[in-house]
Amino acid sequence: MRANVQPFALDVRGVSKQYGSRDALRGVDLTVESGQLHGLLGPNGAGKTTLLRVMLGLITHDAGTVQIFGRDLNDRIARVPDGVAGFVEAPAFYPYLSGRQNLELLSCLDDETAFGRSRVLDARLEQVGLQAHASEPVAVYSAGMRQRLGLASALLRSPRLLFLDEPTSSLDPAGARDVRAVVRRLAGDGTAIVFSSHDMAEVEDLCATLTVIERGQVIFSGTIDQLRKRAPTDVHLLRTSNDRAALELASRRRGIRIDTNHDAGIHISALDSEALDGYVIALGCAGIAVRLLERRTRSLESLFLELTDRPAGPES
Amino acid sequence: MTGRGCMSVACVEAVKLLAQIKSRIVFAVCILAPFAFAVAIRLQNSLPEDTLFGRSVKESGFAVSLVVLGFAALWVLPALTSIVGGDVFAAEDRYGTWKTLLTRSRSRAEVFAGKIIVSLAFTALAVAALALSSMASGVLVIGGQPLIDLSGVLLPPSRALGRVALAWISMVPPTLAFTALAVLISVATRSSSAGIGLPVLIALTMQMCAFLDGPEIFRGLLITSAFSAWHGLLAEPPYYRPLVYGTLVSAAYFAGCLAIASRLLQRRDIGG
Repeated sequence: MRANVQPFALDVRGVSKQYGSRDALRGVDLTVESGQLHGLLGPNGAGKTTLLRVMLGLITHDAGTVQIFGRDLNDRIARVPDGVAGFVEAPAFYPYLSGRQNLELLSCLDDETAFGRSRVLDARLEQVGLQAHASEPVAVYSAGMRQRLGLASALLRSPRLLFLDEPTSSLDPAGARDVRAVVRRLAGDGTAIVFSSHDMAEVEDLCATLTVIERGQVIFSGTIDQLRKRAPTDVHLLRTSNDRAALELASRRRGIRIDTNHDAGIHISALDSEALDGYVIALGCAGIAVRLLERRTRSLESLFLELTDRPAGPES
Repeated sequence: MTGRGCMSVACVEAVKLLAQIKSRIVFAVCILAPFAFAVAIRLQNSLPEDTLFGRSVKESGFAVSLVVLGFAALWVLPALTSIVGGDVFAAEDRYGTWKTLLTRSRSRAEVFAGKIIVSLAFTALAVAALALSSMASGVLVIGGQPLIDLSGVLLPPSRALGRVALAWISMVPPTLAFTALAVLISVATRSSSAGIGLPVLIALTMQMCAFLDGPEIFRGLLITSAFSAWHGLLAEPPYYRPLVYGTLVSAAYFAGCLAIASRLLQRRDIGG
């Protein structure tokens, strides 16, 4: 029970949204506590961005409630509550102004006395690694630089609840690492973060809890460990003398499923140990030597694909 | 919605506007074009006789300002207003910045009000620049001689100056009405091209409609009728009825367009 405790930073209950006859969101629930880094996963068109828009007050919802720090988000009439920040899709700015000027104007919208408070702006620009480009017009910024500027503009609001929509999608690996470090630090300082991403490994690395959305509905919400427990099958890494023939054989056997296939070997799921034993014996009978058979932790990707009922294609 | 909130949005919009080259060009044109016109009139032998006060442009500098006013009222003022009013909302769609703007600490009502304040201020300043420049260019290039008004009465320079200034002031209500119309088109279509182009087209259509036969009340309901209400100020004795009527019609357009635009923005889903 959560009696006598602080309200959730974010408490979404039964939110629905229709576009014409299409259900963009159907009874979505989502709760995030302060200091929690919560992943939001789903295939393209699942409703992640629509949900983020609802939570940021950019679009209305047809049913359900959105509470932020215990207070109802009053649709579009009210302003975004203090301490709430974020961006959806690619952050957008005024191209004829510099990155710094954009931040100056946005901070002025948050607090009219903030105009010219260069120390805070400098700190934010430095935090996202944009200080060297702060005076350049946004028109010449790359997608990655705009993403960094988007994060800086969100940080200007000293967020206690932060919504990030694929914040590392346009960044190089070093930039993505820096952003992840900033996100971790914010969560460590008590900021609740909703982190939408297509990158399963990133969500697995950053988030302790996650919500998976498919066709506007939540199909899983909980910890990553809970998600793993939902998978009844074990996954094994298999390396053989002839992986192609082993794959072909696996596709014909009951109780064996190919999760992923890449240079390091084949990831297979066996329904039970009997099915696995039968497959290994069949490999031997077919003249295929088993070089490695190792039990592995299921990747979030394979779990995600299982949840969203999509076939696992071979990885490159 | 708070006054401080609206003003902070207005400050931000003003900074954005000043950073854009189009606003500087508009003001440069408003200031320089009347001078260029006055110099051209002085250098040429012929007169723009088919224009109101065209015969007097070489006799009184005040007539230069009135010729500029007559020309501006045709399509320049609607165009001038729509450059900002027709783009101030649609630009956010063009740049995809609604989501940036509306995820700060300002409500939609404050954002709307702030943008309207800046659009109206820009329009008023542009009209003032054109008025002052046309009067200054007329007096400096042609001279501050007395002006013969529409009734054939000779107005001494001080009275002529006052009447010309009033004539320009009478342009403000219909110009602001066109600004509101441009704002409505900008909000409704989310297109800068429509926001800037359609008000000019509507102004020209209204002027054409004024030539058609029909009940007088129909012509009175056109905003463009208010653009010619200044004629009463240059008659002896002056008559003010068209001016009052035109101001009321302009106010109705102004309030109606802004009310609809505000409603549209409040109800809008900010999508991708």
